[in-house]
Amino acid sequence: MILLRAILLFFVFITPLKANTIYNLIKIPNLEIYKIDTENGLRYLYAAKPFRLGIDIKKNINCFDSNKKTLDEKYKIVKKNLDRYSLSFLKKINLKYIVLCENLSIAEINTAGIPNNITRTLILDIKFNEKHFERAIHHELFHIINDNYKKLFNENIWKNFNKKNFEYSKCSTCGNNWNLELLNNNSGFFTEYAKSTASEDMAEVFSHLIFYQDKINSEDPISKKKILFIKNNILKIDNNFNF
Amino acid sequence: MINKIKTSKSEKIILCFVIILGVFTLISLIILKNKCLFVKNYDPNNIEFNNSENIVILNATCGNVIIELYPNISPMAVKRFKELIKLGAYDDAAFHRVIEGKLIQAGDLEFGKKENLDYGKVGSGKSGLGTIKSELDGKFKYDKGSVGLARTFELNTEDSQFFIILQDEPLFEGEYTPVGKVLYGLEVLEKVKFVPRLHIVPRPDFINSFKILN
Repeated sequence: MILLRAILLFFVFITPLKANTIYNLIKIPNLEIYKIDTENGLRYLYAAKPFRLGIDIKKNINCFDSNKKTLDEKYKIVKKNLDRYSLSFLKKINLKYIVLCENLSIAEINTAGIPNNITRTLILDIKFNEKHFERAIHHELFHIINDNYKKLFNENIWKNFNKKNFEYSKCSTCGNNWNLELLNNNSGFFTEYAKSTASEDMAEVFSHLIFYQDKINSEDPISKKKILFIKNNILKIDNNFNF
Repeated sequence: MINKIKTSKSEKIILCFVIILGVFTLISLIILKNKCLFVKNYDPNNIEFNNSENIVILNATCGNVIIELYPNISPMAVKRFKELIKLGAYDDAAFHRVIEGKLIQAGDLEFGKKENLDYGKVGSGKSGLGTIKSELDGKFKYDKGSVGLARTFELNTEDSQFFIILQDEPLFEGEYTPVGKVLYGLEVLEKVKFVPRLHIVPRPDFINSFKILN
């Protein structure tokens, strides 16, 4: 028993000290501050070196550092898009840290972003699909909102908006069509990717409402219901929110 | 008949060198052993304070640390802090987490007291008074000497543990509930025992006493 205790204590003492403040706050290694004194309180961090994340040995989230030129360019775009969210709204949805890195992947599948409402962090791939990059920022931000307000964004209510014979895929990466181009075919979906899961569908509606409001087909009856659902629930979170 | 051998000049030089070396060794041993030798110990009775009810004195191995509390910024946190100080709860509590040049943390009243220090659990102990809500909305700059309440990974889990930072930490703003700032005696904290690359300090230094000035 004494030996076991001694071994345990040994392991406690040899745990390498992660004195890095950022790591202690959001548990992502190799980050540095890009900008923290912003009006809406968002803190922008960037990967100074590649990092891997995950639980135990299954560190299946990977992201890489960028060169300064790319980082500077993309920071401006990200900030311009996120500046439309107020400090009070961001507090309500639990978002504080934006991590900028490139070639973000989870289980070797590239992704635009990974939200984590517990650490109040959104990791963004700044090399993600140039054409849809800005809209993807709002899409990923919606996942933070959704994770915080699961009851408001009830998936069963949402599913009932669709045609009766429609079924979502089992996961967001289970389907074979991840096209992000805007559909204008009265199908009730804004993109092919929206057909993957209910939460991805909601995120697609939200991101189009924010970024492509003038382009969306609001005459489609299913889309109309979905738009109203998203708008009403966002206003329940913050009645000062402007679409 | 014994012939007296005269010491040569070079032998005299070596002897002098050995004596000087011995003296230096002795002096440096005394200095090195006493880590508090050049640390100024502030006497709060010799300093005038306008708000003595919010001045607290932490006495550590090398002397006094005089801290001003900010009840206007974090009323609940300061109330809890004062409550524990008045109870003498922090006396003999270990500086269990010390990161050289960055921060020192103390105040684990369950597993971090001198009489029942538990290295396996220190840092996870509670006060028995329950947790309090994080107070993060007040304007407070986390510069060197700032004192804040520690918490778990989640907000609203502040209890008795506190930290004092030894360098500016702008990222702490809006993250940790502030309670005050060190006015005098930061150098006392810089002498608190730490072990490089270790998370928990083995055989740590302790708070001798923690009192409110008035």
